Amino acid sequence: MSPLQFAWRSLSRQPARAVLGLTGVAVVGALLFDMLLLSRGLIVSFRQLLESTGFDVRVTATEALPGLGPPVADASAAAETLRRLPELADVVPVRFAAAGIESPDKKAREVAIIGSETRRRGEWQVLRGADLTESTAGGRHDMVVNRTFARDHALEPGSIVRLTSTLPPKEFRVTGIVEFPFESASDGMAGVTLAGFAEAFPASEADEADLLLVASKPGVGTEAAVAAIRGARPDLHSFSIDEVLERLRQAEFSYFRQVSFVLATIASFFALLLVTTLLTVSVNQRLGEVAALRALGFSRKRIVADLVAESALLVGGGGLLSIPLGFLLARGLDSILRQMPGLPLRLHFFVFEPRALALHLGFLVLAAVIAATYPVVLATRLPIAATLRKESVS
Amino acid sequence: MLSADPRGEGTRPFRIAGVYEPTPDPSRFTAKRLEARMHLPDLLALTADSDEAGAADSVGAINIVLKDAGDVDAFARELGARAPGVSVVRATAGDDEHFLIIERFHVAISAVTLIGSTAFLLALMVIRADERREVAGLLLLLGVRRRRILAQALLEGLCIAAAGAVFGVLFAVLTQGAVNAFFQWRYDTSLIFVRVTPAIAARCVALALPLGVMAGLLASWTLLRRPVLDLLRR
Repeated sequence: MSPLQFAWRSLSRQPARAVLGLTGVAVVGALLFDMLLLSRGLIVSFRQLLESTGFDVRVTATEALPGLGPPVADASAAAETLRRLPELADVVPVRFAAAGIESPDKKAREVAIIGSETRRRGEWQVLRGADLTESTAGGRHDMVVNRTFARDHALEPGSIVRLTSTLPPKEFRVTGIVEFPFESASDGMAGVTLAGFAEAFPASEADEADLLLVASKPGVGTEAAVAAIRGARPDLHSFSIDEVLERLRQAEFSYFRQVSFVLATIASFFALLLVTTLLTVSVNQRLGEVAALRALGFSRKRIVADLVAESALLVGGGGLLSIPLGFLLARGLDSILRQMPGLPLRLHFFVFEPRALALHLGFLVLAAVIAATYPVVLATRLPIAATLRKESVS
Repeated sequence: MLSADPRGEGTRPFRIAGVYEPTPDPSRFTAKRLEARMHLPDLLALTADSDEAGAADSVGAINIVLKDAGDVDAFARELGARAPGVSVVRATAGDDEHFLIIERFHVAISAVTLIGSTAFLLALMVIRADERREVAGLLLLLGVRRRRILAQALLEGLCIAAAGAVFGVLFAVLTQGAVNAFFQWRYDTSLIFVRVTPAIAARCVALALPLGVMAGLLASWTLLRRPVLDLLRR
């Protein structure tokens, strides 16, 4: 009989204990798996969002992250300089601001406005209607709006939007309903052309940009594009997606990383404690049986193999169950965290990566081995004759 | 030397009067920021655009304390009518939605941990009951009623659960300082991350006691419903 078959028989002799052990390992394993998904989930999700725009480099005036520092001055000249670089495929200046708008209930509401050139890549996805054009038919610039803005203000392609934060109020014509990569479920957003932006915010400098979105030429690579930008305009700051993510990893996203680390450690410790206790008690209850097996000629190695197999069955079985359970739990926890106001709709906290699964399996294997250590020592150092005598007397 | 221009033009010298500890802000503790405070006229002189009329006399926000906090809506309406384009944002403390959601997340994690611990506790109780299988059989043979043995198991479970709960709360009280010290060091803040309040301790005990008792009872009941000879392995 192989060690695995032997371990299976040992476990199935005590079904209640085995089921409870498996359940415990499955639940803490699911928690461990989820913490591994959480540890890098925001970074992976944010990378997907950044990459979905089709631009792999962001250029700003200072080291501050896009939108948090002063704008790039003489933006059109900067964009022209960069467009001449052979490493770059596209350069788009972008502006951000918030404008007041009168809602149907006559209350003043705020809406985020993005000013950009007519769309070239994945800055937003048109869901209904048409994209922005440079048209100013009827003295009104084009505007695309997100679903929240459209729903709250009953807007459709062709509707007129009146910004009340300018004097006199400015009107825009809605051409389409779009989805912005970074839009949240609760906030209204709108996209306009740079000319439309200057109209909406007359006090802002006409030739500034909060951000220059840059796409490197296919085959050239992001690093070469960043180096070319730094060479051409050393006064500007360019960030590859990796650099943006590293900044976020160090600061804004670090809380969830720390929490996931602490909870993953606790979950691993808990799984270890559970399996060690079950195996130790199981060995203690079977000391006579182990001594008898040794007396019948079972080697120490074989006893070790039997106990490791029993540990592997408990941890392996629970670990297998923990993966689907972990996915279910991750969905629930993700839906709780995604209720945070202002979070991008497409941002997730728990994101699956093969790396997380590999780490999960690694942790479980380690837990199975460590959990088996003490019972193994107990069983292999057993004095055979004394134990058999004690068992027969009792 | 400070400048509002990203190219460093128009710098102005400032004298450092002191180093301060910023007011802890839970919504910004993860951000590493360089921060300085100065008199408002100095800031306006540093940042105002000289080409823009009135820029040297404009501010981003004005903090207001109302005589009656319940007048916020009326104040917002009146201000909106008198100064179109100015919006009123209510400053809230303690009920920020972000923290309510973080709290919900932590409660969900606690619930999962509780399920795992219950399985662990049940397994331990089943083992414990199994170890006393023969004793229980002997007691039944001697005429002790099942109900009496169950009552004993209930009391035992209660004692173990109470001891475990008290130990858990004490452990949390003793380690909260270490957890706070770590996160305060990590984020360079004086915010308190973990605080074991009497309400939280009471909630832990209130959850642990019935769980411990139920686990003990369930394990003993599964054992005691077997025939006596089976308990004595005959």
